[in-house]
Amino acid sequence: MTGGLQRLASTVVLVGFSFLLTALILWISGYGVGDVFSGTIQGAITATGAATSTVRWAIPLLLIGLGVVIGFRAGFFNIGGQGQFYMGACAALVVALGWREGPATLVILCGTAAAIIAGLSWSLLPGYLRVRFGTDEVLTTLMMNFIGALVLQYLTAGPMRNPSGTGQTAASERIPEAFRITDSSGVSATVLLLVGAVAVLVWLLLERTRFGLTMTLVGRNPTMARWQGIDVRRVGLVTFGLSGALAGLAGAVELHGPGARLVTGFSPEVGFTAVVVALVGLLSVWGTVVAAIFFGGLQSAILFLPIVTDLPPPALVLLHGMVAFLVTVKLRAVRRRRTGSASEAVTS
Amino acid sequence: MTVPSGPAPAAVPAVRCRSLGVSFGAVRALHDVSLDLAPGRIHALVGQNGAGKTTLVKVLGGLQAPDSGEVHIAGRKLPSGDARAARAAGLAMVHQHFSLPPSFTVAEALELTAFRPGGRSVYRRAELRRRWRTAAAEIGGEAVLSTRIRDLPVETRQSLEIVRALATDARVVILDEPTALLTPTAIDTLFERLRRLRDDGVTVLVVLHKLREVAAAADTVSVLRDGELVLGPSEMSELSQGQLSDAIVGPASGADRAVGVEAAANGERQTLLELVRVSSRESAFEPGLRRIDLSVDTSEIVGIAGVEGNGQRSLVSVIAGLDAVVEGSMVLGGTEMTSAPSARRRLRGLRLVPFDRNSEGISRRAPVWLNQSALRLIGRHPRRFPLISLRQYKRQAAEAMDHWQVRYDSVTQPAESLSGGNVQRLILSREMAPGLEVLVAAQPTRGLDFAATNFVRRSLRGLRDAGAGVLLVSSDLDELFELSDRLLVMYGGSIVARFEAPYDRRAVGDAMTGALR
Repeated sequence: MTGGLQRLASTVVLVGFSFLLTALILWISGYGVGDVFSGTIQGAITATGAATSTVRWAIPLLLIGLGVVIGFRAGFFNIGGQGQFYMGACAALVVALGWREGPATLVILCGTAAAIIAGLSWSLLPGYLRVRFGTDEVLTTLMMNFIGALVLQYLTAGPMRNPSGTGQTAASERIPEAFRITDSSGVSATVLLLVGAVAVLVWLLLERTRFGLTMTLVGRNPTMARWQGIDVRRVGLVTFGLSGALAGLAGAVELHGPGARLVTGFSPEVGFTAVVVALVGLLSVWGTVVAAIFFGGLQSAILFLPIVTDLPPPALVLLHGMVAFLVTVKLRAVRRRRTGSASEAVTS
Repeated sequence: MTVPSGPAPAAVPAVRCRSLGVSFGAVRALHDVSLDLAPGRIHALVGQNGAGKTTLVKVLGGLQAPDSGEVHIAGRKLPSGDARAARAAGLAMVHQHFSLPPSFTVAEALELTAFRPGGRSVYRRAELRRRWRTAAAEIGGEAVLSTRIRDLPVETRQSLEIVRALATDARVVILDEPTALLTPTAIDTLFERLRRLRDDGVTVLVVLHKLREVAAAADTVSVLRDGELVLGPSEMSELSQGQLSDAIVGPASGADRAVGVEAAANGERQTLLELVRVSSRESAFEPGLRRIDLSVDTSEIVGIAGVEGNGQRSLVSVIAGLDAVVEGSMVLGGTEMTSAPSARRRLRGLRLVPFDRNSEGISRRAPVWLNQSALRLIGRHPRRFPLISLRQYKRQAAEAMDHWQVRYDSVTQPAESLSGGNVQRLILSREMAPGLEVLVAAQPTRGLDFAATNFVRRSLRGLRDAGAGVLLVSSDLDELFELSDRLLVMYGGSIVARFEAPYDRRAVGDAMTGALR
């Protein structure tokens, strides 16, 4: 237990340290640090609609972040959340625009299923390369993000483009209002129930099923798992699939919820932020929930701050980056400990 | 035993430690250890697993700072916990676990880590090979120099670690359990080498497990028990075997009564495991199987002898279902299993004690209860509710481990915190659970102390008496002779000879070296 407390403490210290560094840089640059931080609190919690906005941004972070947690449990580092998220959103869009006359509930269910399958497939490809040929999944999932972004761009600028659109960036047509599960705030009882249920299910899977234990064994030592008769490749594929499915689901929630249409390069950071969310959440389900709300608040504040301060919009992204940087440094140590014994045997 | 030019009593000890104490949390690894090692002798350090041998060796080598006490090399006090200073003082270490970088070639690793003078910052491969040609002769010839460390078999890696340490001009060489992974012949070669070093005036401290090895190699012996020095350094010539083993084991504790084993026996003699003309692909350093015929019946222990690297690893991997059968067939418990997945074989009653217990037998960082429960994770239980009770898993793991007398503090501690003997007991507690029909035990006592070795051997015998079949792969001939009902000898991937008790050591030895072919 003391080990867990230690890790919790070190993460809290790390996030606090990021705040300090950011404050220092803002202060050097001549901004009123006090204003910025009070603006952050307003933008994340106290201003009108701020709390809702926090939750709205926490939802995709949590869904994708849980996928990262699942991957890590079996020893895989899926950083392809962004691409899987885009593919999920694209699949849901194709269903919604392709079947405008369909009954709303059925279209939403089909769209969500399509999104899950799209995210899952987008993740299974690097997953297969990993378990079959030992290709480093960090590289392949990362590269698949770019392909996913280009597919999104193709759809929004090509076949699905809104011809009457006037914006500078290409965007798709809007899906019919009946197909939406939230208003533009992005939060509704349906979505909260769905996300809550997903979190509980993931927790049950990881902590209370034989497959969850199997994933843990494979993640810690695949060689030993093989000797114990565990089909390490199958576990790897299922893990990659689940991880991508959650990111795909996040894409469907985005489209049927706050988005209603897809814009080229929307939410560009959410996939990587979700990795940081999972790591700050100590790769546990409930920790990830807390971290997702924290980062959702930051995202909300980033959008709010320009209203109350003279801060340019990217300035708070600095805080984001700072946490990501420090968490990555910590992660390097974790990965180094794991690779020595683990990574070879998965492929053989 | 002739003692070469016995050192004058007044001579400065090569290694001296005073009142060393080391604690890890509540565990007292060393307590008030004071030891003088005379120069130019071979000193053995013995004790049970967890007695503090490795800790003492690490303190001497500067890899572990003691909580109290000090270390002197040749009369000069070493700064505490400073490995560089220890090396500069002429002390070289050979570790129990491998320390060379796996992605390096042998020549590169030697150049990088052996600190032999005359190297350059920029090198050419040919030049490296020239520099290390002589050293390479000890580990199988020049060709090995351009091989990557990770592709070497365990035995060669171990020899390489020794070669590396000895390549420096060390005045004191410390070897931590160097024989654990070596073949009998390689052990003789090693001891011969240590004697040559001694005759050159080098002081050798070697951690050993087997009393026979101590008798063969050492001039003096020191015994650690529960972190305290209980004997020595005493001249080997003045000690009886009995005195020594009493010192190691201590007052009888009764902790090692035999453990009953329940196996699925039904009285009738039948064939449990049969391989018919099985061949498999060769791996980088081990021949594949060549048309192996082998069977294991109920209530028998079949021994597999052979110099390591003659296909034993392939044999166990093929039976486990980790290596594919290229030709031939395998039947397990009456069911054809030639290409069955590993899990099906496990469910049919096949149990395994793998060669390398720390990487293949357990997951070091997973908690002990999960390691213990691993076999419960395979196979489908379609009708069962998908959610499990961790409390039940942990309780059953604890019961099994208590039954097998695994010493642990909590079921949630990581398996790496167990000592070697306890890790093996943990593996046995898992593999010997009900449902066992055939146990394949690969080097089950390697590196274990005395008490743990006896425990494992008793367990194997108990298993046979309960009706199970055991395939015992070992490089310890005494163990094979003691336990096996039949003995097969592997050479170059084939079974070249079959023996029945009583065994003729010379005939078996001839078969092992291929003299029968």
